[in-house]
Amino acid sequence: MYSKIHSPEHRLSKDAVKIWIIREVMIDILGFIILGVLFYLDYHFSWKDWIGWILIVITIIAVLFSIWSIFIEPFLLYRNFRYDADESFLQLKSGALKEVHQLVPMTKIQAVETNQGPLFRKYGLCSLEISTMGSSHTIPALPKEVAVKWRNQIAHFAKIKEVEE
Amino acid sequence: MTESKQRYHPLLILFHLWRLLKNSIVFVIYLFVIKFGSDSTFIKYGRIIFFLLIGISIISIVVKWFSHKYKVDDTSFHLYKGLFAKSERTIPFSKIQNVNRRTTVIHRIFNVTSIKFETGMSDSDATVAFEAIPKKEADHLEEHITNTGVDEPSTNQAVSDPDMPPQDSKEAVVSNRRIHFKPTKKELIKASFTSFSFLVLIPIIISAYFKLTEIFHVGKKVEGLFLQITHSWWLLTIIVIVMLFASVIFGFAKTFLTYGKYEIASSEEQIFITKGIVEETTFTISKDKVQAIEMTQSLMKRLLGLVEVKLISAGGSNDGDEEMEINSLYPFLPIEQARKIISEILPSYEVTEEMTRLPGKSLWVRLFRPSWLWIFSTGLLFYFKPAVLGITQAWWILSIGLLLSIVVSRLLDFFHTSYTFNHHFIQFQTGGFTTSLFTSKRDKIMEVKISRNIVQRMLGLASIETVNRAKPVRHTALHDVPVQLGERFYTWYKKRENEIKIESKQ
Repeated sequence: MYSKIHSPEHRLSKDAVKIWIIREVMIDILGFIILGVLFYLDYHFSWKDWIGWILIVITIIAVLFSIWSIFIEPFLLYRNFRYDADESFLQLKSGALKEVHQLVPMTKIQAVETNQGPLFRKYGLCSLEISTMGSSHTIPALPKEVAVKWRNQIAHFAKIKEVEE
Repeated sequence: MTESKQRYHPLLILFHLWRLLKNSIVFVIYLFVIKFGSDSTFIKYGRIIFFLLIGISIISIVVKWFSHKYKVDDTSFHLYKGLFAKSERTIPFSKIQNVNRRTTVIHRIFNVTSIKFETGMSDSDATVAFEAIPKKEADHLEEHITNTGVDEPSTNQAVSDPDMPPQDSKEAVVSNRRIHFKPTKKELIKASFTSFSFLVLIPIIISAYFKLTEIFHVGKKVEGLFLQITHSWWLLTIIVIVMLFASVIFGFAKTFLTYGKYEIASSEEQIFITKGIVEETTFTISKDKVQAIEMTQSLMKRLLGLVEVKLISAGGSNDGDEEMEINSLYPFLPIEQARKIISEILPSYEVTEEMTRLPGKSLWVRLFRPSWLWIFSTGLLFYFKPAVLGITQAWWILSIGLLLSIVVSRLLDFFHTSYTFNHHFIQFQTGGFTTSLFTSKRDKIMEVKISRNIVQRMLGLASIETVNRAKPVRHTALHDVPVQLGERFYTWYKKRENEIKIESKQ
């Protein structure tokens, strides 16, 4: 840990883990259905040998990825993501293997928006997207009231513009 | 300035027609020259479609000229377009990052010029462009936006030159320019050596040699072998000498034409870079709009003690017109002179030579970091095992060669990498064979990032990164610095809140 850097404290919503898992499972089911269809076609029309091999390799990779994205990634993301904002800076911290700290001055923020997909709506969550002139940062999952509160808060802080040179 | 809506210069129609002609010349040659006598239906319809498209384009060029208008008031440009659905676009002068002016030969014939006011916006209409405008008017516009775009017009006090009698402000802006650099003949010769432009013709010479021997082989078969060789040798030497001379002259001419009339000048608030003899381009930027300075050195330039200095601006044309990009101060500046010029034209920047190197442990991190380039290319080489120049074992020689050059580049990078930051400035130097020295001010940095991967965490190292406005957005990273430095960097950036000027309520 850094000794001098004041780490941001706020965490994501705990429900996010559940939702990410549901979302990943859905995507993976879809992916495996497509793979299944491809395998069936391969068998039925006896495609060239190498196509079968490629399908097998893709399946192995897909299985590994789904294990990662269902059983590991949501927990790591939830555990390691921290954010904070005050009247002068937005602070973000993320990453389990590669730990990243970001510091964005409020005066450089151009827009904040809350987004809500169908799954997020069901659980009353929002993601918060903060864009500057050159980049955009996302806080992936917050309870809706919290997200709206931060959105208004950041918008208020960001209204103060430094003299642009 | 102009208070009513104005059309652009009528020459614009001519220019656009000329461009249309240039773009369609391939089709013209295909449809009417190569397939001259052809009666096939494909060609017949092709011609009809071609005429239709050309007709539509010509009409749209004329209509565009009629419907596109502009207005300049005291604070902004107003651009109008559209015949039925009208649109108006307002671009305040304060958003303009830099000005690009270009006078081609065609412009010169009509005594006009083209001028582009570039903003930092990211969409396609980000620039206010006048493709043809009388020189005088362009001067007026440029002067107008500099005098009104800047908050405090300090041009009046700037006229302190004793042998310049006080004149009206228009004259003052011009006479205020101070020239910092003009390349001498000697410097131009040096420049043409570093750019290697005279070597361009060497491959041509080599291929000509092979062609020639072939010709002589066929033509002189009757004569004796000895005679043939001497004969061709004679010719060959003469040809090689002539070609070498030609290529050297060609290289020099190219350098002289591009950099001959180079001029770096500055006034109280602006920097002007002019270049080109045949086609003149001028880049103008306000001093306070310079986002960062970058000094790059290739291997050759490092040996000769030359450097290329670039002023990084948030503006830029989106059309990717490389030739327009002359944000570079003269690319072959002697390093001492470069420092001097920077301190003269941008007194608010400091480029220091005292910088801190990386600790020894970061060398090991760098050396042992897997090189995907090497792994991938070795994999490919191993699979295909290509025979180069008849050597069947070439694949592992190539692989080892690549590995060695990667190691050398990493070693060089380690020795070149250094950093420093003090109250307002940050300076990174990175690069293996080609080095780059990046200097920016704290208030110009948009955001910062520190990261540590597993290895870095074990060794107490970190990577730091700054983000600057530029087109495209400029990320500058410094890897494997001590973690304490990472923290210092973070707290250093946090202190920017004390120094920024807050805009008064709009």
